[in-house]
Amino acid sequence: MSDRDDRFVEMLLTHEIAQFLYREAELLDERRYEAWLALLSDDIRYWMPMRRNVKFGEESREFTREITDINWFDEGKETLTRRVRQIETGIHWAEEPVSRIAHLVTNVQLIEAMPSAAEAREVSVKCRFLIYRNRVETETDILVGKREDLLRRDGDDWKIARRKIILDQNVLLSKNLTFFF
Amino acid sequence: MATAHVGGYRPGLVDLKTGQISREIFVNEDIYAEEQERVFARAWLYVGHESQVPNPGDFFVSGMGEESVILTRDRAGQVRVFLNSCRHRGMKVCRYDEGNTTVFTCPYHGWSYGTDGRLVGVPYFREAYHSQLDRLQWGLVEVAQTCVHKGTVWATWDKDAPPFLEYLGDFARYLDQMFDSWDGSDGGTEILGGVQKWLVPSNWKFPAENFSGDSYHNISHRSVDMVGAGPSGSGRRDMPELNLARKLHIAIPDRGHQTTAYLLPREVEVPAGYQHSPVVSDYFKKCEEARRQQRGDWGRLITLVGEVFPSMAFLARQPRTIAVWHPRGPHQTEVWRWFLVDKNAPQDVKNFLRDYYIRYSGPAGMTEQDDMENWGYAHKASRGTIARRYSYSYEQGMGTEVDNYEWEGFSLPGSVTDLTQAKSSEHNLRNLYRRWAEFMEASDWDELASWRRAQRAAAE
Amino acid sequence: MSDPINVRTLPPGTRIVTADGAVAEIVSNPADGVWLFARYVESPSDPALVGQEDMIFAQDVVEVRPT
Ligand code: FES
Ligand SMILES: [Fe+2]
Repeated sequence: MSDRDDRFVEMLLTHEIAQFLYREAELLDERRYEAWLALLSDDIRYWMPMRRNVKFGEESREFTREITDINWFDEGKETLTRRVRQIETGIHWAEEPVSRIAHLVTNVQLIEAMPSAAEAREVSVKCRFLIYRNRVETETDILVGKREDLLRRDGDDWKIARRKIILDQNVLLSKNLTFFF
Repeated sequence: MATAHVGGYRPGLVDLKTGQISREIFVNEDIYAEEQERVFARAWLYVGHESQVPNPGDFFVSGMGEESVILTRDRAGQVRVFLNSCRHRGMKVCRYDEGNTTVFTCPYHGWSYGTDGRLVGVPYFREAYHSQLDRLQWGLVEVAQTCVHKGTVWATWDKDAPPFLEYLGDFARYLDQMFDSWDGSDGGTEILGGVQKWLVPSNWKFPAENFSGDSYHNISHRSVDMVGAGPSGSGRRDMPELNLARKLHIAIPDRGHQTTAYLLPREVEVPAGYQHSPVVSDYFKKCEEARRQQRGDWGRLITLVGEVFPSMAFLARQPRTIAVWHPRGPHQTEVWRWFLVDKNAPQDVKNFLRDYYIRYSGPAGMTEQDDMENWGYAHKASRGTIARRYSYSYEQGMGTEVDNYEWEGFSLPGSVTDLTQAKSSEHNLRNLYRRWAEFMEASDWDELASWRRAQRAAAE
Repeated sequence: MSDPINVRTLPPGTRIVTADGAVAEIVSNPADGVWLFARYVESPSDPALVGQEDMIFAQDVVEVRPT
């Protein structure tokens, strides 16, 4: 393939991945949780570290570590499913009445396609998110950060195999995290 | 009881004869300002864990009430607690959450303090101050007293406060379970990395009373009980011994500390919890046996959720956590959360518990999310002029508490309500507010340390 | 005035020149960008300082001697 073809293939893949991420956001915002859960691979790792203020040069200590430390989230599909089920009880008061949520997904960057863009079976992709949550009357949260996803080819579609969520906050400014990133 | 919300605290807002407490104490700004002075500036407060500052020069920035403090281990190896504010013009001296340092240097004009708090560096000391500044007078403000208790670090701004163990009184026995390992070994716990910090839109006393033993609010957690916090636990958060044990409210009236607890029967073997995870189930079973052997009757007691007056809460059972309620104005609280595991537990057990902790507690905790929703909207709905006229009811189980509670030949210190039949009581909550009112009214520690007067009287 | 020097990253052993012409060797660096712990090796204006250890303020550092 020519160089030009390579770039074209990569562009198509980036477009496909971005569309996938937008569609995923749509499912969450429309509260179509069943369809959203179906996009998660059975072995998904969903991880959101906490962040410390550290001295310049000590960045290695900025994030809490997965598996060893306490994090905001560090779990898999079973417990994500339970979280959905909890909302669906209709008596999970932190989400009852349900919040109004909008996921803005942007700056989608294809980081790596494995084994290649033309035959991608796995892709790692970065993006920015802005999650707007408004609930009851005036209660409003805006959470902004980065996401690093690993997506896996699944027939004609993709599944999310890993999601690292980097929230740009130290003290969490929201009283809870009852929604998905 | 109608109470106009002019002015601050006055006796009667906490009326334990009728079991009514005015909403003013939660939402009134004057009362809030007074309680910073009368409660937070006089009580012992939880600052952190020694394992967060293992080496000289290590520091962890913590909080006491509204204020930022630096917990550090000085060059001589001693644990110290300082106000995190420069003496020159108040700049926050340390804005890193943790680390290791030789000096705390103020970014504003460059005053620099040693880890022992001494002012060691003053820019242009010779030129601008003509070597006249008395540096000894201008070290970081240090707390009046510090105490390291089973790895936990406590401090108070009041030099007249009694020593920490006296402050705990009989509660120390109950609190042991929080810091000892599950098999009963002394102080055998460690902190998992990472302190959760988040904001809750309610007065700090809402979480404080909830953790004091609000055994009535289980209904609010029904959604998590239905789906389970998983991955391998069954639906209920309660453990099987619930059916065999006495469930108790235990309060130490003259100190203001309180906890809920299970007292297990002497002979019956307790069915193992965590059946879905054999490693964990096994570990707890072994520990349970060891604890009973080592501690005798006290080994039958399982401390659950409680509160050291005023603002340190704990869950001694799983999820084993320490929470501190930092007031951020009358209408907001910053919660800090530490999680503990047995130092000697197998890694698998630590991992299992850590996962469980995160799913249970904190902002992403499937249980606590509902608590915070309730505290926030309870607070908000209590702020109005009309709402404030109507007290809250704390009448549940009034007069049912006993001193010298005894079961199967084991008697417990403190004032105890047996909830086994009653299901619930607000005994512990009343205990919290009794002490809170005493702090608001007492002029000094001589008055607050009522047990000392009783001891003196007995001696005469 | 000379260009400000970032003293934060200067390693121990580095020699610096102060505003009043003294030369000092860094003993330790707290890496705060404000102070250096150093020992005087030359001090024309006050020879008694030579050999003494002192905290040196970043604004007093006018030159870093090449090693
Ligand atoms: S405020 Fe710290 S040196 Fe001036
Ligand atoms: Fe609760």
